[in-house]
Amino acid sequence: MNKNRSKEYDVIIIGGGATGAGTARDCAMRGLSVLLVERHDFATGATGRNHGLLHSGARYAVTDHESAAECIEENMILRKIANHCIEENNGLFLTLPEDDIAFQSQFVDACSSAGISTEIIDPKLALRMEPSANPDIIGAVKVPDGSVDPFRLTMSNALDAKLKGADILTQHEVVDILKDQDRVNGVELFDHEKKEKAKYYGKIVCNAAGIWGHNIARFAGVNINMFPAKGSLLIFGHRVNKMVLNRCRKPANADILVPGDTICLIGTTSERIPIEEIDNMYVSKDDVDVLIREGVKLSPSLATTRILRAYAGVRPLVAADDDPSGRSISRGIVLMDHKERDGLEGFITITGGKLMTYRLMAEEATDLICKKLDVDKKCETANIPLPGSEKSDETLNNVSQKVYSINGITQKSAKDRHGSLAHKIAQGDENEDSMVCECEGVSIGEVKYAINELHVNNLIDLRRRTRVGMGTCQGELCACRAAGLLCESMEEPGKAKDDLANFLQERWKGMSPIAWGETINEIQFTSWIYEGIYGLKPDNN
Amino acid sequence: MKFDNIIIGGGLSGLTCGIKLAEQGKKCAIVSSGQSAIHFFSGSFDLLGKANGEEVTNPLESMKSLPENHPYKRVGLDKIERLTNDALHLLVRSGLNLNGQADRNHYTLTPMGVMKPTWLTLSDFTSFDQKDSFPWKKAVILNFSGFLDFHTLFIKDGLKKFDVHAQIKTVSMKQFDAIRKNPSEMRSTNIAKEFDKENAIEEFAQKANVLSDGFDVVILPAVFGLFNKTIADKLKEKIEKPVLLLPAIPPSVPGIRTQITLRERFQELGGTYLLGDNVEEGVFENGRLLEIRTNNHGDIKFEADQFILASGSFYSKGIVATHDKLYEPIFGLDIDGDSNREKWFDEKIFNDQAFMHYGVKTDQKFRALMNGEPVENLYVAGSVLGGANPLKEGSGAGISLLTSLHAAEQILK
Amino acid sequence: MKKEIFEPYNVSDNNFEQCVKCTICTVYCPVLEVNPDYPGPKQSGPDGERMRLKDPEFYDEALKLCLNCKRCEVACPSGVKIGDIIQSARIKYSKSKPKLRDMILANTDIVGTMASTFAPIVNTAVALKPVRKVMDSVLKIDHHRMFPKYTGLRFETWYRRYAEKKQQEFKKHVSYFHGCYVNYNFPQQGKDLIKVMNAAGYGVHLLEKEKCCGVALISNGLIKQATKQAKHNVEAFKKSIVDKKMPVISTSSTCIFTIRDEYPHLLGVKNEEIRNDSELATRFLFRLIDEGKLNLVFKKNYKKRIAYHTPCHMEKLGWSIYSTSLLKMIPGVELVQLESQCCGIAGTYGFKKENYQTSQEVGKPLFDQIENSKVDFVATDCETCKWQIEMSTSSKVQHPISILAEAIDVESTMKLWQK
Ligand SMILES: Cc1cc2nc3c(=O)[nH]c(=O)nc-3n(C[C@H](O)[C@H](O)[C@H](O)COP(=O)(O)OP(=O)(O)OC[C@H]3O[C@@H](n4cnc5c(N)ncnc54)[C@H](O)[C@@H]3O)c2cc1C
Ligand SMILES: Cc1cc2nc3c(=O)[nH]c(=O)nc-3n(C[C@H](O)[C@H](O)[C@H](O)COP(=O)(O)OP(=O)(O)OC[C@H]3O[C@@H](n4cnc5c(N)ncnc54)[C@H](O)[C@@H]3O)c2cc1C
Ligand code: SF4
Ligand code: SF4
Repeated sequence: MNKNRSKEYDVIIIGGGATGAGTARDCAMRGLSVLLVERHDFATGATGRNHGLLHSGARYAVTDHESAAECIEENMILRKIANHCIEENNGLFLTLPEDDIAFQSQFVDACSSAGISTEIIDPKLALRMEPSANPDIIGAVKVPDGSVDPFRLTMSNALDAKLKGADILTQHEVVDILKDQDRVNGVELFDHEKKEKAKYYGKIVCNAAGIWGHNIARFAGVNINMFPAKGSLLIFGHRVNKMVLNRCRKPANADILVPGDTICLIGTTSERIPIEEIDNMYVSKDDVDVLIREGVKLSPSLATTRILRAYAGVRPLVAADDDPSGRSISRGIVLMDHKERDGLEGFITITGGKLMTYRLMAEEATDLICKKLDVDKKCETANIPLPGSEKSDETLNNVSQKVYSINGITQKSAKDRHGSLAHKIAQGDENEDSMVCECEGVSIGEVKYAINELHVNNLIDLRRRTRVGMGTCQGELCACRAAGLLCESMEEPGKAKDDLANFLQERWKGMSPIAWGETINEIQFTSWIYEGIYGLKPDNN
Repeated sequence: MKFDNIIIGGGLSGLTCGIKLAEQGKKCAIVSSGQSAIHFFSGSFDLLGKANGEEVTNPLESMKSLPENHPYKRVGLDKIERLTNDALHLLVRSGLNLNGQADRNHYTLTPMGVMKPTWLTLSDFTSFDQKDSFPWKKAVILNFSGFLDFHTLFIKDGLKKFDVHAQIKTVSMKQFDAIRKNPSEMRSTNIAKEFDKENAIEEFAQKANVLSDGFDVVILPAVFGLFNKTIADKLKEKIEKPVLLLPAIPPSVPGIRTQITLRERFQELGGTYLLGDNVEEGVFENGRLLEIRTNNHGDIKFEADQFILASGSFYSKGIVATHDKLYEPIFGLDIDGDSNREKWFDEKIFNDQAFMHYGVKTDQKFRALMNGEPVENLYVAGSVLGGANPLKEGSGAGISLLTSLHAAEQILK
Repeated sequence: MKKEIFEPYNVSDNNFEQCVKCTICTVYCPVLEVNPDYPGPKQSGPDGERMRLKDPEFYDEALKLCLNCKRCEVACPSGVKIGDIIQSARIKYSKSKPKLRDMILANTDIVGTMASTFAPIVNTAVALKPVRKVMDSVLKIDHHRMFPKYTGLRFETWYRRYAEKKQQEFKKHVSYFHGCYVNYNFPQQGKDLIKVMNAAGYGVHLLEKEKCCGVALISNGLIKQATKQAKHNVEAFKKSIVDKKMPVISTSSTCIFTIRDEYPHLLGVKNEEIRNDSELATRFLFRLIDEGKLNLVFKKNYKKRIAYHTPCHMEKLGWSIYSTSLLKMIPGVELVQLESQCCGIAGTYGFKKENYQTSQEVGKPLFDQIENSKVDFVATDCETCKWQIEMSTSSKVQHPISILAEAIDVESTMKLWQK
């Protein structure tokens, strides 16, 4: 079935990661008509599979001055425009006895030349500031690192784009790029829900598909020299550290511990993989073992902290065009005007960079798009806060100060997750306050808000919006409750059962590499509930 | 403290074993670190629901095709039929009302609305003879407003396959106002506690009767009778239509009642039930276990002629996994399972997971092995035994009941 | 085989992470059942702890509704120390300051010293209607509560005057931690203990100076003072246990539980050197009998039907078996084991006006059991349970040691070891 849409957009953006969503917002803010397409859900690519570190840039200061300078600038901007997505935790760069302390001064100098403020701290004081750090440290430097929640960040951008008129399609995969001679004029999409294809037209197509941009470029008949680098991480069951902990040495495996929301993350490994394997994100036993071994050096208490999950993502790295071997890989932002590069009009690619430079990437891409469309409007994304980060609503601040409040956990959690938009979540009504997810404090009201307003197609999407099922039990109790609510809003119970089964499978994928200790107990229990008592099967229809 | 027999673990196996031994006049103690898997019970004791990927109609017959190291095979198929009868009678003597037979599975409806084969079902629940028909045409599914743990739409969807017209209705009761205010407490056991007090049942039945007008059957969550053993029957008396109870998210109300019933039976027979105490280690001499030490009792040793290990599977910490090994945490008994964790799992959660088969190694008489040698007076029973995936087979309670009775018989011999 | 050989590397050491979210604990929490303002053990304990580690702002003052009965811990299949987690959270995060009333209730020994000095006046005064009104409205101590009577002659004074000398006549010796209740309110229990221990051949001594175990200080948030007293007591115990090789026994399950478990778990006061030799008198006696080192002879004419109530802390300790085993040894005793349920008082908790109703509702199933049991009296190891049961039922309550003291044939028992 082929449907052809007649409307022509100014720009079609491919990819619902931070870059794509950010570009959609920027374009919409500059008055363009925008279509954002994503094959699965927001933040299902590298954006949802990274470390969540709001880099100060310090990590790159010694090796990559330009990236470092970009980071610190964006870091300061995100603190303003996305405050509900970030935590201003600060970070420490620790020197262990096995590291070279001489590196510290080189590091501090490099930071200051990139504009990153540093403070050398006495190891004893550092331990008082961050008791979970390795007590053997011989040096510590404080930097303005932080944490960023990629799901919230991407969602806020998408939400704002939508508020400003953009059309958004999730579960729509680009299967071809439409061309009219030397000019790209649209995309062909496959709708995974309805299982049908459709064509959409636009004056410009922006490829923001991360590592998958390689395939998109192929559809357009051009070649981008991509080098997928897989990185694995472990999620620990609770927050061990208050500050981001880094090793003060040249970047290596498992040398950053990032606290974020209720958990903390150790990562990463780094391994080149063939482009054919970018959709197969397993974490090997060796990866897990390396992460634990190295992580424990940063914070010994990791050895006795429960591990919730393991996961991996692929960095969209691009080699310079004159270097097909990939030896000189840039970690910086890559913006390609394919008119200039390949003689193909109406097609640009924005990739490389980092999660935390998404806004700058979006700005550069949008500048180029505007130039091509002859639109003369300045970028304002650095000044206008994202929805949820506007000046916070006073009434919300009172929530946690009430002395007796059995709803305290859900209300405070909702505020942490949705910022000032939390006021949209019904509260104080017993029909809405009841908890769906007890580990993360998600109420019925919050689930309903997400279902109604945040583009939720299934339970896995719901998890990204609300943290349902992200806590210690990994969905043991809440998955079924949430499935029930989702089912009510969709009136398709048969599908909801399969959705529930998929959700459990998705949770298991991250649990199986680390399923020992409490996790194996928990999964045995969970399986008994869903398969034993409930009689749930992988395919229920 | 000296006993004839000491049982480690107070779940279904430990209690069955204890009741059997105490009935024969043995002085028994059960030490259990916490509550057991019966607290999550669906309401049905499974014997064998699936073998070689096929659904089983006659468990006794299908057992013949099980692998040789399966606990049923090791008990001996010649004994199984008798033991199934013994098990049923033991449970009935303890005060449980059950339906079902070992040579023919019946079916129960799950909360996903599908039929599942099983052996013995508590009389609270409805047993069906056929898996592909449903005796009623029009069903009303009643839920309490604000109760998230009962999935009416899934049930309704499941019933569609039986051509049943189902309608969902909710009931509001002021007795639940208080628990509803607490965001984490509108759960089945708290609802059950309200019904236990008996002053809500009349009003509820009246409402249910009005709402079920024009329907053939009333479907309800199984939240009746936690500590009160008669309330489920009262409910059925008061509701004019047939009542079909279905499990809600655990903990399970009928499960907890079952645990209490069995524990009380054991105590009435003079048994000592020590809850909240962890067995830490044992003292061995010449291949015999002389005494055990527990967390609460420290230097006061617990001696017995025979011991039974019924400490459950991973979930109950009967066996423990770390990143590079599997072990039995009390005595360090031999484990039937791979120590390489890559072998434990299948990447698909709904596939047969290897770890579900792991357990403590025993000899033919179900005596635990330690460094390859049997411990003369330490028997192993229930889900701490390896050799089967009770979840995939639908054999959880069956293995627990039959291996415990078998162990008890060895001791009584 | 020793467990250490397994060395579970990378298995969580953080007790709250052992929780598999099975929700069993909430079924057994007596408070949750009657007071929906309480978030319950799972939410307050493991779930809440994880949140509080993210941000201390998640701390909820409603946690003070927890009775610290530890029934949740007994039920938990995963070994989560839920009660400890909740109490530690209160210690760590609570911002509310203890009220005057809480200080009065918590300082059982100071108040006791004053009150027993003026016992007749205090006893009449607290019984007087106007005084009770003031207590109720100003101090928020519920007017339904009967205060335990204060004695004129403190146990310590009595001991020094009348008992101390005689104790030297024995070959074997123990120290006795009598606790505030015995000292200020009910010296008879201490006297009974001395009678029984002497019959068993042990001289009974007091610690150099004992301080209140501090359980009420802990539950009322007076942690600094509790820690100070704990340290003092541990030192005093050491003098007896380590220096003089004299074990310490007590008749109060709550005091001994606090000293053995709450000192290290909640106050961080180390007690390894004394823990094993600090126990209840009933356990001490049971061990002697179990090891064949002691025989008790009972009077022929002692005939009673007795119901045993397991106090929460005995349930947690798992030690009621010692008391009931001793009682069962008395030939004329018919023992009814009550289903273990919380009585609702939880030390000073039930004295507070805001908790009175919760407290009585929690206890109601137990009171009903007692009224239906048709016994001569109830036996229990905890003094606050005694107040609560005596106030709320028609039954009298006795300590197992007092029952032994009455039932034992002292002379015949002594003859057995004297020969
Ligand atoms: C292990 C690891 C750790 C990292 N840590 C950090 C960090 O701490 N801080 C930081 O700032 N950065 C970090 N990064 C980098 C950061 O994650 C990425 O640079 C950034 O998320 C890229 O975002 P993106 O939107 O460009 O790409 P993606 O997030 O990959 O988005 C591409 C999207 O396109 C969609 N798509 C693909 N094909 C199609 C198609 N045919 N049709 C429609 N849609 C399609 C995908 O589903 C995906 O959602 C890390 C990366 C990795 C791998
Ligand atoms: C959620 C769930 C639902 C189930 N539903 C069903 C069902 O509906 N039907 C069915 O047929 N089967 C069901 N099963 C299968 C169930 O495992 C068995 O049927 C049976 O209950 C197992 O009994 P058990 O006594 O062997 O072990 P458990 O019930 O696990 O009991 C083991 C006991 O040993 C104690 N213990 C462990 N270590 C120590 C120690 N060191 N010291 C002291 N005590 C210790 C534990 O605390 C626990 O109480 C279910 C299982 C689970 C987990
Ligand atoms: S200690 Fe007692 S009151 Fe407190 S949560 Fe546990 S069961 Fe409830
Ligand atoms: S009983 Fe234990 S494991 Fe279960 S929810 Fe409560 S704390 Fe967690």
